Amino acid sequence: MLIAQLSDLHIKAGRRKAYGVVDTAAHLETAIAHLLSQPVPPDAVVLTGDLVDHGSREDYGLLRQLLKPLLDQSSTLPCYLLAGNHDETNELREAFPEHGYLRSTTALPHYAVTLGGGALRLIGLNTTIPGQSAGQLNAESLTWLNEQLSSDPTPAIIAMHHPPFATGISHMDEIGLANREAFEALTLSHSHVKRIICGHLHRAIETLFGGVIASSCPSTAHQVVLDLRAGAPDQFIMEPPGYQLHRWDGVRFLTHTVVVGKFNGPYRFRNTRGLID
Amino acid sequence: MSTALTQKTAAAGAQITLTRCAKSFRTHKALQPLDLQINAGETLALLGPSGCGKTTTLRIIAGLETPDDGGTVMYDGVDVTNVPIERRNVGMVFQSYALFPNMNVLENVKYGLRVRDYSASNANSRASEMLAMMRIEDLAQRRINELSGGQRQRVALARALAPQPRVLLLDEPLAALDARLRDVLRVEIDRLLRSLGITAIYVTHDQSEAMALGDRIAVMNNGVIAQIGTPEEIYFHPADAFVGDFVGTMNSIEHNGKRFTFRPEDIDLVDPTSATFTGTVTQRLFLGDHVQLAVSIDGASSDAPVTIRVRARNSPSLNDKIGLKLQPLTRLARDTH
Repeated sequence: MLIAQLSDLHIKAGRRKAYGVVDTAAHLETAIAHLLSQPVPPDAVVLTGDLVDHGSREDYGLLRQLLKPLLDQSSTLPCYLLAGNHDETNELREAFPEHGYLRSTTALPHYAVTLGGGALRLIGLNTTIPGQSAGQLNAESLTWLNEQLSSDPTPAIIAMHHPPFATGISHMDEIGLANREAFEALTLSHSHVKRIICGHLHRAIETLFGGVIASSCPSTAHQVVLDLRAGAPDQFIMEPPGYQLHRWDGVRFLTHTVVVGKFNGPYRFRNTRGLID
Repeated sequence: MSTALTQKTAAAGAQITLTRCAKSFRTHKALQPLDLQINAGETLALLGPSGCGKTTTLRIIAGLETPDDGGTVMYDGVDVTNVPIERRNVGMVFQSYALFPNMNVLENVKYGLRVRDYSASNANSRASEMLAMMRIEDLAQRRINELSGGQRQRVALARALAPQPRVLLLDEPLAALDARLRDVLRVEIDRLLRSLGITAIYVTHDQSEAMALGDRIAVMNNGVIAQIGTPEEIYFHPADAFVGDFVGTMNSIEHNGKRFTFRPEDIDLVDPTSATFTGTVTQRLFLGDHVQLAVSIDGASSDAPVTIRVRARNSPSLNDKIGLKLQPLTRLARDTH
């Protein structure tokens, strides 16, 4: 079973460029076309937040249009959305009313759905704090998560926008996730949590957390500059965009980071006489 | 194609009931509250101009859109309004094909099967069966970009039908094809829908497609169903001028204080002395098996000519004075004061 993760799309109404520079709409179109052109397409798609740039209704209107090639496949390829700090959870829900899982719990914006005919559970945690860039999992959310995990032993993958780890990129760490220790203890206590996938960082980063690999996904558009100096400036860079493919074989997850762009090749290693010299 | 194949493919179609389904996009009301029942195994054509609400209706049935609050969608009496599309067991076919470009034909058809419980060998045989049904066995290993539009749409149909959906939803599936291919595939789709017994909803702006395929047609305009009925009912007894005009050509003239409404084929050439109307041929289009004439009617309250269709042999020439008589048994033709 193959789960595709797209993240940090930052769509702006009217196809306006993010920060005056990044044509995020075109980047998303390219990423979706790339994903649907995979020789083995995914079985589900998860979008881990910052779907739009300002959370406006107009932003989501354009997002809906841009996602159409993906959503039109959803009779066999379901697609799950998750809010990030640039999103407005209520606007997101209203823009995608047919995505009922976004309203599945009345009090909390989290969800749990089954994938692959029940082989796997996707738990979407909404880590946003309205009006803030940083994220959190408050006690109430952790209680909900604990109930979810305690009541169903199906292997689970947790998706969330804010990663539960520090990266050394100081300006991103300043807007990281609060209460991560409690979340880690909880994860550790449920051995059927198999993977944690996140967005927010606009880079592929991974670490061991609560006994599983927790990672962040590249943005479909712009990437955060890799600068590990304390107090490094907050900047982005047009490194190649990407997305990730998480493969579940029934025992473990394996992740492929996909780079989106035009590249030379593929070339053959071998000809009829063997390896090409 | 063997009948055994067809029978194995048959899936029980669902009865679909829409109750007060409306859809607003911000301030724009794409669909007024709509009630609609589609019988199990029936093919319903949703026909209308662009923006009439037909695609929105289809997408609500599919689960790609939700109706506004208060609307419900039921499959076989079960409320599926809040059931996500991937749980509704529907097959979808789009104008754009929506195939995976880097999978071959067989892989594309097999893709939809992984949501069902098919073992690898069963999936292979099921996919092969679908290719045979669509008469594209020879293309199994071909890449999608090596196929013509008509072949792609056959693959899309095979893929949609492979998991035995309860409902097949087709959104302008032939609109991207040239006229000849459209005719061929239309016949093919008709054969499929009749043999499978699946419930099908077919969105089109093409009245001849709707006529040929629909057990019933719902003609839509401005977000409402203007009329729903069999193709014959729609054609011979249009509910209003919009339907009459959209489903073929409808003439409407006022003559001696009476209004006459009739189809181009509902009038005969006669000697002017025994004619209902006389007039002058102002345009003549030779169309092979028939000739289409524009005739300016003497004494009509408007100058707009009527359109009539007559046999091509010995047909009138441009500027001829002719006599026309409404066929007495024309059910449609009616005069009102």
